[in-house]
Amino acid sequence: MDAQTKAHILHDMIRRFTTGGGDITSSDWLAFVEAQNDGYRTGPAIGEKVPDFSLPDQHGKSRALRELMGPQGVLLVFSRSADW
Amino acid sequence: MELQLSLEKLKACGIQAASITYDSREVLHAFGQAYNITYPLLSDVGSKVIRAFGIFNTNVPEDHKMMYGMPWPGDYLIAPDGTVRDKLFLRDYQLRPSASEVVLRHFGDRAGGNSVAINTDVLKATVTLSTDRCFPGQEIAMSLQISLKPGWHIYGTPLPGNYQPTELVFDSPLVGEQSLELPPARPMLLKALGETLPVYEGELRTVGKLGIKWSPPLPAKFLEALGTRIEPGAYTINGTLRFQACSDEVCEAPQAVTFALPLRVEAGIPPAPKKPVET
Repeated sequence: MDAQTKAHILHDMIRRFTTGGGDITSSDWLAFVEAQNDGYRTGPAIGEKVPDFSLPDQHGKSRALRELMGPQGVLLVFSRSADW
Repeated sequence: MELQLSLEKLKACGIQAASITYDSREVLHAFGQAYNITYPLLSDVGSKVIRAFGIFNTNVPEDHKMMYGMPWPGDYLIAPDGTVRDKLFLRDYQLRPSASEVVLRHFGDRAGGNSVAINTDVLKATVTLSTDRCFPGQEIAMSLQISLKPGWHIYGTPLPGNYQPTELVFDSPLVGEQSLELPPARPMLLKALGETLPVYEGELRTVGKLGIKWSPPLPAKFLEALGTRIEPGAYTINGTLRFQACSDEVCEAPQAVTFALPLRVEAGIPPAPKKPVET
C-alpha cells in the first residue's frame, strides 16, 4: 500500500466517523486497519535492552524507567491514545 | 484502562505497570481521574520514546491531527536489568492484548484467578483463564495443566485415527480465535500394541490464547448484520477437554469432558470527558 493511499484511508475514516459512520462497510474497516498496520514493527527483541527514558506522568512528575520497576520488572504498555 | 483491572495480580507477581501515549499531561490527568487510574500514565508528547523504541507508526501522514505520533501498539515485559523478557504486539487491532497474558505466560497460575479442575481416576487437569473480567475485543490467556498417574499416558499428534489425541477446545459465541499448542509429545513404543505413538506422561503444561469478540465502533444495525455485536454482561465460556488415557496394559475409552468458566464482559470504554486542549 503506498503512502498516499494510506493517508487517504486514514483521513477519510476519521471524517466518516465524525459524520456518524453509517456508510462504513466492513471492507472499509479492514482497509483502515491495514493502512495503520502496514509494515508494522515491534521494537527491541526479546533479550535486548530497551532504550532508557524519563517521561512525565499524569501528575507532572518525571518518571525514569528504573523507578518504574517492580522487583520482577515492569509491564510497559504502548497505546494509541488515551484520548480516543 | 483494562490494565487497571490487572494491577493487583501484576503486583502479586512483583511487576509494576505503566502506559505510554503521545497525549499531553492534561489529557492523561483527565483520563486518570475519569477512570480512577492508579498506575503512571506517561506523556510522550512528540513521540520521542515511541520513536526510540522503533515503534512509531510511519503509516500516519504528518497532517493527520488525531493519529500522527501514535505507535504500533503493544506491551513489553521488561526485566529489572532493562532487557525485554517478553512482548506482545498484535497485527489485528481489533484484538487488544491483555495485560494479564504476558504475566500468565511467565508466572503461571499465581497470575490467574479463574480455574476449573477436571479429575478422573488417572488424570488431574486444570484449565485457567488469565482473568474473570475482560473488555470486548480483548485477548485473554488460558493455561492447561495436566498431571497423570504414574504408568499412564495420554496422546499427542500425529496419531492414527482410532486414538483420541489430547485437545482443548472452547465453544462460545463470545470466543473468536483460539490457539493452544501442546508441547511436542514423546514417541513411546507400546509393547501391547506393537506400535510407537506420541504420548505425554507425568506433567503437561501449556499456555494459549482466546480472542474475545469485539463490536467495532460501527452502527448497531451494521454490527448485527456482521454478527459481531457483543453486549456487556455475565457470560459462561464452555470448553471441552478431549483425551484418551492408556497404561501399558489397558486403554480407557476416549473421553470428552466439558466444563464452564465464568467471564464478565465489561462495558466498552466510553470517551473520556474532554477538556479543550490547545493544539
